[in-house]
Amino acid sequence: MKKIEPIYLDYAATTPVDPRVVESMNGCLEVGGAFANPSSVHLPGQRAAQMVSEAREVIAATIHARPQEIVFTSGATESDNLALKGTLMGRGDRRGHLITVKTEHKAVLDTAKVLDRAGFEVTYLDCDSTGLIEVRQVADALTENTILVSVMHVNNEIGVIQPLPEIGQLCRSKGVLFHVDAAQSIGKVPLPLNEWCVDLVSLTSHKVYGPKGIGALYLRPGVQITPLVHGGEQERGLRAGTLSTHQIVGFGKAFELADMKNEAPKLETLRARLWEGLKSIDGVRLNGHPDRRSPNILNVAIPGIEGESLRLAIEDIAVSSGAACNTDSPEASYVLKALGLSDSLAQGSLRFSVGRFTTIDDIDRAIALVKKEVTRLRALVSFAPDW
Amino acid sequence: MNYSSEVRQRFLSPYGVGVFERSSLGVVSGEASDRTLNVWVCFQVQVVDSVISSSRFQVFGCPHTLAAASWVSEWLGGRPAIALRQLNIRSLADMLEVPVEKFGKLLLIEDALLGCAQALEGII
Repeated sequence: MKKIEPIYLDYAATTPVDPRVVESMNGCLEVGGAFANPSSVHLPGQRAAQMVSEAREVIAATIHARPQEIVFTSGATESDNLALKGTLMGRGDRRGHLITVKTEHKAVLDTAKVLDRAGFEVTYLDCDSTGLIEVRQVADALTENTILVSVMHVNNEIGVIQPLPEIGQLCRSKGVLFHVDAAQSIGKVPLPLNEWCVDLVSLTSHKVYGPKGIGALYLRPGVQITPLVHGGEQERGLRAGTLSTHQIVGFGKAFELADMKNEAPKLETLRARLWEGLKSIDGVRLNGHPDRRSPNILNVAIPGIEGESLRLAIEDIAVSSGAACNTDSPEASYVLKALGLSDSLAQGSLRFSVGRFTTIDDIDRAIALVKKEVTRLRALVSFAPDW
Repeated sequence: MNYSSEVRQRFLSPYGVGVFERSSLGVVSGEASDRTLNVWVCFQVQVVDSVISSSRFQVFGCPHTLAAASWVSEWLGGRPAIALRQLNIRSLADMLEVPVEKFGKLLLIEDALLGCAQALEGII
């Protein structure tokens, strides 16, 4: 694999496609390959359908589920939409209640807002200063109208792992559906759905060295949802549209290659080395729980530095910052603010995420550059505003 | 965010960063800040015979603010003290290609210079 420049430490945003995945996808694109419509009854179509079926089996096995419990979507965002809207909107009235958390991904929070505006009741739980919620909070928020609880597994910004088994047990005992956004989980932390009381799970391919534009929703048998996309009977009528064989095959290959047992310790080692190097910077602090976390994500706050200047200073490292940089006036991360960080400190935070192709040299170079630039930027001001 | 080459150059090697020695003569200071803009700026100018001989600044702010402060610090040198009230921030913003939504941050540089001018008038 070619070296990626600058130093790529943003694997939680997305990953490069593994060459073995590319190879598997190439076999589905051209004449002679499995390019045909998998819904077609002719032989080429059946060949494509067979490859889709095999990928579905691999994906299901990865999360200890069964193939018929997997619904392919365009990614975790669509899966989140389908999970939330599909469970609440299909009921025919507007009396449903949704419980979620303030630190969820925008795919959940923005969907919750839509439901809120449509007349549903939504409760947003606070997290503590480490990013975690307690089962008790969910229990206290439940009402007789609660239909769905949606809590993410691994937080995409700070990497903390929510207490899903306990929340799942509570939901099951109360007859409430439980949805989990597990976009960040595969290959990093276990997701034993056979042991947890979970009803819907959002999955994606591109965080695990698979292609973008493909994901899935795990749907426990018996759970009724209303489809969002109409126009065909694909995916048992739950998601219309010609199945994207090459994407699905790549998705399956990526999950097949996800070797958590061997990769997670390597990621943990790299992340620990990064933190060891960065924590000697005066005032630096870890954002998120120190132990209950995914092995690949490290989010640090660096006080006394303006966030945008920090990002430009270390532009040779591809990382995510504590600001939403899709505008020219970056807003501080709502996740970090939920942990109690000030706007300025949130904007001066960085999310590093290591992955399959990260090397020790990458880590050491990143540490050296961050330290050098923090020292330089702090020298520009003898007084750092305390806001 | 895109930055002009001038901004990048001044961000990497800003001119005039720091403070004067406490014993320096003819030095006045002015500062301005805005928490909502996440900017704090402090300028010091040394004035000899109504002419700015040199200036220093400190800044907590974005790359555009830092670059603008650097440019201003260089611009002030050798100018009459009245220049503290004559900075055209809009021209500076255009020259550095500062996005319009950051204009307010640059105005804090103007405020810091006005603070210097008022301090100087107090001395005179």
